[in-house]
Amino acid sequence: MALQAPTLSTTPDMPPSNPVGDVKTGDLELVGRIRSGDGAAFETLYRQHATRLYNLASRMMGAHGEADDLLQDIFLLAYRKIGSFRGESSLGTWLYRLAMNHCLDVLRNRQTRMGQQTDSLDEPDAMPVASPVPVLGAVSRIDLERAIDTLPAACRAAFLLHDVEGFGHQEVGTMLGISEGTSKSQVHKARMRIRSYLAHGSKKKES
Amino acid sequence: MNCSDLSEALVDLVDGRLDGPERRDVERHLEGCANCRALVEDLRSLRAAAFMLDRREPKADTWSKLQAAIAAEPAPGRLVSFSRSLGVSGPTRANWPVWLGAAAALILATVIGLLPLMNRATEPHDDNPDAAAAQPDEPATVESVTAEFEAAERHYQKAIDDLQTIANKDTGELDPQVAAVLQKNLGVIDQAISESREALKSQPSSANAQSGLFDALRSKVALLQQTVELINEMRKGNQAEAGRRVQTLAQ
Repeated sequence: MALQAPTLSTTPDMPPSNPVGDVKTGDLELVGRIRSGDGAAFETLYRQHATRLYNLASRMMGAHGEADDLLQDIFLLAYRKIGSFRGESSLGTWLYRLAMNHCLDVLRNRQTRMGQQTDSLDEPDAMPVASPVPVLGAVSRIDLERAIDTLPAACRAAFLLHDVEGFGHQEVGTMLGISEGTSKSQVHKARMRIRSYLAHGSKKKES
Repeated sequence: MNCSDLSEALVDLVDGRLDGPERRDVERHLEGCANCRALVEDLRSLRAAAFMLDRREPKADTWSKLQAAIAAEPAPGRLVSFSRSLGVSGPTRANWPVWLGAAAALILATVIGLLPLMNRATEPHDDNPDAAAAQPDEPATVESVTAEFEAAERHYQKAIDDLQTIANKDTGELDPQVAAVLQKNLGVIDQAISESREALKSQPSSANAQSGLFDALRSKVALLQQTVELINEMRKGNQAEAGRRVQTLAQ
């Protein structure tokens, strides 16, 4: 089954990478085959989305690992719930929404067990960085991964979906059950926090 | 426009989605504000770096494990019997390895289901009062253990029968020599299972007889799993890995 045409609207110099988008008849056909117990159809769904979902789950969980188990849980959940797919969004969007909900549930449970507070949308932003010259320069991948790991779950999810995976804000909103505007503000918050983290990290290294 | 006004437009600006009068307003502000210019440049660097982050691949066996997990599930969207989900009604040539994996997983689940029974049958009952206190149920009789064991075995045999139906239908999927090795190994294991069953029949409470049957079942599960992995590699066209797995099967 061919991947669907991307609907991503990113900066022009960035390659589109969105395998989801509008509902296609192919989605409904694939779901029909999965619902009838066609294992090959489910494998098709897995092969289309596993790598991207693995990266999302891996970065959502941060340094705590368990991404492979989480990926398996996500697809098992999708298998159980595929009967609830009504074609109101693309199959990809449906799957990513299910995946992100599961990741956020796992994080919430972990935080509850560890007695940590969950982040909320009105959490104060990180300390702003006021500088007349850029403070980041070339951003190292390792530092960026570390900075992402420090983000509150909600804005981490929006940042990963939008900036790392390349989904548009409308899709991110659908996947996270938030408005397009909230997606924008969460992504902005994440970027500002990462900049602050990296800038302060750089200062620590210099001192 | 001042710095605080800019923050709302920053996301669209950095993403290249700001145009018209709003974009001109922002650009006018940026011309006179070094801090905001630096911020925009940093956010653009950050955006580009985020998009270029490494792509990681899930472990190669994640799909196999998932196959095993869904084997215990009824077909989604409708309730079907295990035998139907195993493909007895006629799997296609394209999807039969999936169902072979499902059958192997069901056998594994059955074997795992036997474990508590085996452990209970081999645990001492008389010389540990704490353990006795922790198990208020009546101690298992030879008859009850035998009945439970036989029920589990029937379950197992049903899965084997279903699997056999699939294997017989699609023998041509494998190289004849590989299929012959598989059949030979399965024959050896089946012989061991048969002998273990005989031993268990004459000594239903014998720990040795129970563990012997368990070992034989476990061997069969392992062989089936290796077969599934081999077929998956063949389907992917990975000749080198398939060759390595054939060597493993031949051992």
